[in-house]
Amino acid sequence: MTDPTTSPLTLIGDPNAEVCEGDFCVIPDHHEQAIVNRRLDDDAI
Amino acid sequence: MSEAIKVDIWSDVQCPWCYIGKRKFEAAVAGFDGEVDVEYHSFELAPDTPVDFEGSPKDYLAERKGISPADADVMLGRVTGIAASVGLNYDYDHVHQTNTIKAHELLHYAKSQGRQVDMKERLLKAYFVDGRHVGRIEDLADLAAEIGLDRAEVVTVLTNETYLADVKADVAQAEAYGINGVPFFVFEEKYGVSGAQDPATFANVLEQVASERAQQSSESVK
Repeated sequence: MTDPTTSPLTLIGDPNAEVCEGDFCVIPDHHEQAIVNRRLDDDAI
Repeated sequence: MSEAIKVDIWSDVQCPWCYIGKRKFEAAVAGFDGEVDVEYHSFELAPDTPVDFEGSPKDYLAERKGISPADADVMLGRVTGIAASVGLNYDYDHVHQTNTIKAHELLHYAKSQGRQVDMKERLLKAYFVDGRHVGRIEDLADLAAEIGLDRAEVVTVLTNETYLADVKADVAQAEAYGINGVPFFVFEEKYGVSGAQDPATFANVLEQVASERAQQSSESVK
């Protein structure tokens, strides 16, 4: 088996994007408003 | 035709953001003018969970995190709404919280059969949408058979832990990269994208990699 690659990664994107860490998945409050905004943008509301 | 862009994705089967992130990533790939080669890697969010944990994610949150049932309902309601926004119908009332080590072993077996992407989708849907159990060997063998894999062979490799070392290698690689949460996307072993980002973010990384390749190609012919 090969050893793990240890080259550092260049991180891209929103650092606050939703992730699961440990046995817990962060569910930020701001999402509901974001969904409403997106639906408004799509003229779905 | 240029070589496919390699994207390695660390995720867990019972990670709600992993399935949502998968859909967002797929939306980016669908709009990308080029080939993308995806490989899934194992990440265990809760390796100490019993396979036969008696309860739902709401029970799990209450028992392990001390979150009240009312607050858990609100949290799971939010994630269900977000899932719906990308076309996924999460059914938390029927989800079986479990240990996912065998599901990860199955994903490695499926990779050996050239069916890993299909198996990943089947496992996520089984867990979040269909209310199926994804921790027990017999249930996993049923799911594998549903996508055309050899059920008996799946039972054998899972019973013998044939792919356990591959699961552990994935976890070790995640640690080497410093990955603390999932989903986590690694593009060409160079760029890391954490979380269920918007499709535009994934699209931008794909375009960036393609652009860098084109530049390197043009420089090599000078």
